[in-house]
Amino acid sequence: MADVSFRGATRYYAGVDRPAVDRLDLEVADGEFLVLVGPSGCGKSTTLRMLAGLEGVDEGQVWIGDRDVTALPPKDRDIAMVFQNYALYPHMTVGENIGFHLKVAKVPRDERERRVRKAATLLGLESYLDRKPARLSGGQRQRVAMGRAIVRQPQVFCMDEPLSNLDAKLRVQTRTQIASLQRRLGVTTVYVTHDQVEAMTMGDRVAVLKDGVLQQCDTPIGLFSKPANLFVAGFIGSPAMNLLPARVDGDSAVIAGHAVRLTRGQRAQLSGDEVVVGVRPEGVDVVDFDDGIPVVVDVVEELGSDQFLYCSFEQAGTGDLVEHAVTARVAGMSPNQRGAKVGLLPRREAVHLFDPVTGSRLED
Amino acid sequence: MTVADVGRKAPRRPRPAPGAGRRSPLRVLGMVVVLGFTAFNLLVLYWLIAASFKTPVEIFTKPFALPVRWFQLGKPLRNFAYAWDQAGFGDAFLTTVVLVAASSAAIVLVSAPAAYALTRLGVRGSGPLTNLIAVGMGVPFQTVIIPLFIGLSTVHLTDSLFGLFLVYVALSIPFTVFLLTGFFRSLSDEMEEAAAIDGASPLRTFFAVMLPLARGGLITALILNAIGLWNETLLAIVFLQSQAHFTLARALFTFYGAAEYQSEYGGLIAGVTILVLPMLVLYLVLARRIITGLTLGSGK
Amino acid sequence: MATIAAAPATQRGAAGKPGPTGTSGGHLVRKRRLFWPFLAPALILYVVFLVAPTIVTGVLSFTRWAGAGDTPQFTGFAGYLRMFASDSFRSALVNTLMYVVVGGIGTFLLAFLFTMVLRDMPGGKLVRTILFFPNIVAPVALAMFFSFLFKSDDKGLANFVLGGLGIDPVRFLAPENVTLTVIGALVWASSGFYITILMAAVDRIPPYLYEDAEIAGASAWQKFRAITLPLTWDVVGVAGVLWTINALKIFELVFVLAGPGTYSPPTAAWTLGIYVFDRSFGSQGTPDYGGASACAVVMIALTSVFVVLLRRLMRRDTIQF
Ligand SMILES: Nc1ncnc2c1ncn2[C@@H]1O[C@H](COP(=O)(O)OP(=O)(O)OP(=O)(O)O)[C@@H](O)[C@H]1O
Ligand SMILES: [Mg+2]
Repeated sequence: MADVSFRGATRYYAGVDRPAVDRLDLEVADGEFLVLVGPSGCGKSTTLRMLAGLEGVDEGQVWIGDRDVTALPPKDRDIAMVFQNYALYPHMTVGENIGFHLKVAKVPRDERERRVRKAATLLGLESYLDRKPARLSGGQRQRVAMGRAIVRQPQVFCMDEPLSNLDAKLRVQTRTQIASLQRRLGVTTVYVTHDQVEAMTMGDRVAVLKDGVLQQCDTPIGLFSKPANLFVAGFIGSPAMNLLPARVDGDSAVIAGHAVRLTRGQRAQLSGDEVVVGVRPEGVDVVDFDDGIPVVVDVVEELGSDQFLYCSFEQAGTGDLVEHAVTARVAGMSPNQRGAKVGLLPRREAVHLFDPVTGSRLED
Repeated sequence: MTVADVGRKAPRRPRPAPGAGRRSPLRVLGMVVVLGFTAFNLLVLYWLIAASFKTPVEIFTKPFALPVRWFQLGKPLRNFAYAWDQAGFGDAFLTTVVLVAASSAAIVLVSAPAAYALTRLGVRGSGPLTNLIAVGMGVPFQTVIIPLFIGLSTVHLTDSLFGLFLVYVALSIPFTVFLLTGFFRSLSDEMEEAAAIDGASPLRTFFAVMLPLARGGLITALILNAIGLWNETLLAIVFLQSQAHFTLARALFTFYGAAEYQSEYGGLIAGVTILVLPMLVLYLVLARRIITGLTLGSGK
Repeated sequence: MATIAAAPATQRGAAGKPGPTGTSGGHLVRKRRLFWPFLAPALILYVVFLVAPTIVTGVLSFTRWAGAGDTPQFTGFAGYLRMFASDSFRSALVNTLMYVVVGGIGTFLLAFLFTMVLRDMPGGKLVRTILFFPNIVAPVALAMFFSFLFKSDDKGLANFVLGGLGIDPVRFLAPENVTLTVIGALVWASSGFYITILMAAVDRIPPYLYEDAEIAGASAWQKFRAITLPLTWDVVGVAGVLWTINALKIFELVFVLAGPGTYSPPTAAWTLGIYVFDRSFGSQGTPDYGGASACAVVMIALTSVFVVLLRRLMRRDTIQF
């Protein structure tokens, strides 16, 4: 078992001036399940492949345990990788697939079979050992790929979107399986996904990447409750946080006539007199039109357990109507009507404030 | 993020993955062979072109040097002039161009409808019939030349370019039909169905819809046949006897013995160059298409 | 919508009952009327110039016939027996088998070696283009180049280089050496083609399989054994068939390299292709169409045997990625 650390790791691709991953500093503790998340093309796979040794590191270092592995070939890093497409060998049976790495490593046949069988039992694949991958379901293939990683008994698991080829229902099921398997084995895991729900439910900690730059790395709760910047605030949480531009007037921010208080410290951190007020849909209360931010309900989405209101409001000053500018989440079966004029009141403790220029969070 | 990166520049070549540079003995051996092989091919090409401007003495005593003597004498093209005029390569060149162009066009003209019929008309037995024609690719020409020669000589088509034209067209059919069935099979049904719904006649559908769609395949077939026939020697030797009808490959074959005898090596190599150069130019222009075309037929 | 759904383009649809709408069914029948007019020209040429002559050759192989002015006489298997007993045929057969088997092994070993290197070599595309180049050059031209390369006295290019290294000249083209020399030339000239075919198949193998093997720590050889070879097996089989077909009819290269050019080389260097040519059109002596036909029959028989054998050997379940 070992921890993993990226120390200023940077990766360029030939013919591209901007690095795909830019000076990444990231520590993964021993036995931790770390999820890398971010939009497509943000450098998640590149990061993982640097860790696996499939991609060179142009600047900085990658450490596993107390070894600098930056220049080590993949086989010497004691890692196992689960690929998005599983990378199963189509001409080998499930058993041969799971045992392939052991065979290459010249593990004696008896021990190999024992370990393959053990991994297969763990994953419920015993009865498929003699089948070829083409005759397995998507979920079974995914488990074979997991088996091939487990059987190596590595120090680190690298997983690159291992669930993205499964249908929605199976994905939810497999997600919990993988998470519990990882807890049981206690192997340090770096897991890549672009699905923020997956990230929040599986990870001990989640690292958010954008354009090759690490935005924030924190526990799911930390990310949710204290997003470090506008990008993380908008990316984490579904439906997304409402981000409302406002003008600072004295010690409060004013949105369509409604005032939100700023602390003195927050005021001092601001670079201008504009601020972005962020509030999650569940952090607003619906009140009378005059008591909160005055809005018009455009759409009512009734889910039974919850109800989502998509509302527009008039931009202060210009008077333009901003459609679907605010989303509110209220109790299911609430008597809200399309076209109703209501007021939205952000709860004091649910308000996040951001600097519109730098994008970063204003601490209390 | 807002800090400007002054003086930071992307490396010209990103570092390779740590495993990639690993030197297993097999890889080193492979690398050496690959590079040696490539260098040898380039050397051959250089030698051929250089030698075609050299005197026999230069060819044999300074094989790798640049040509000098004929340039000093002010007749740099002397070898080519000899081959072109004295050895009859000029006439042969014209003959070959015309024969190859006509044959290739005729082959495609005959094979395209056949390939279309075999793949897109849904007639039962098309599959076995296609295989039957494809088997023809495996028949060595030696198996058919005797009856063909006898047959053609009874209708006075030996030592005749038209006779050779017929033989070329017929013997190229298996490969071309096979190649084109692959192309027609890969076309989607939709265009054809749309044309049918619009009320176009089947014949019109073929000419106005299918042929243009298969154009890439037709051009590939045309090029591949042109290359094959340009280089064809055995049939030309058997079916052409008088020098007036010689193709380039055939002329070269005859010239070979004579050149050896007269020590006319410069002219001989110029003749080889005249035969090779047009194909080389074609290859430089169309390498990808030629390579994929030739391998496509065998890929599936 | 209904019309589109009913327009039967597939075999099954075509064979089935007519579609619910008259137009598409009618269209299909009209379409199928094109079958014979479209196929006939190619088929007629094919039958007249390939199928029929092959049969005639088969018949002629049982006769004795000196060509024009003579009439074929039926001799049964006597012609074959005489042929099998003759030294020239035996060396032609042995040499041809050498080209097919030894040349084949050489070419494919080389091609396999290349696949290991070319897959992830920078500039590999250019190298492949250069390697393929000999395949568009006429075999006669290649043969002439090799005759310069291997000239026996110290005039030849190879001996020139050897001489520079202080090695005595080698008689590459002497009848006892020429087969090996030509095998070398053949492997050089054709490997580019087989490399290209194999590489086209290798390129279709998903890269992540090699990455997984890299993580496993597989050597170049293990990657080849575990991934490249099994996943290109079908193409290797097809390439083997193509090789056999082409190597069995080898003619120009040997004819020019082993002999003076205009007439046949010494019999020790013969191939089956040369045997057929010499007995029918080689300008020496009276033609022996019967004997030539018998040899041609042997050629086509060998081709069939090899192809069937290869198909058997290489048979395996198809693999989808
Ligand atoms: N081989 C390559 N050559 C050049 N650029 C590349 C290469 N591979 C990736 N990139 C670029 O590097 C950036 C990061 O790619 P990466 O594959 O790491 O993204 P990702 O976060 O995994 O995205 P996704 O969620 O779509 O898989 C992208 O902008 C991509 O275009
Ligand atoms: Mg990715």
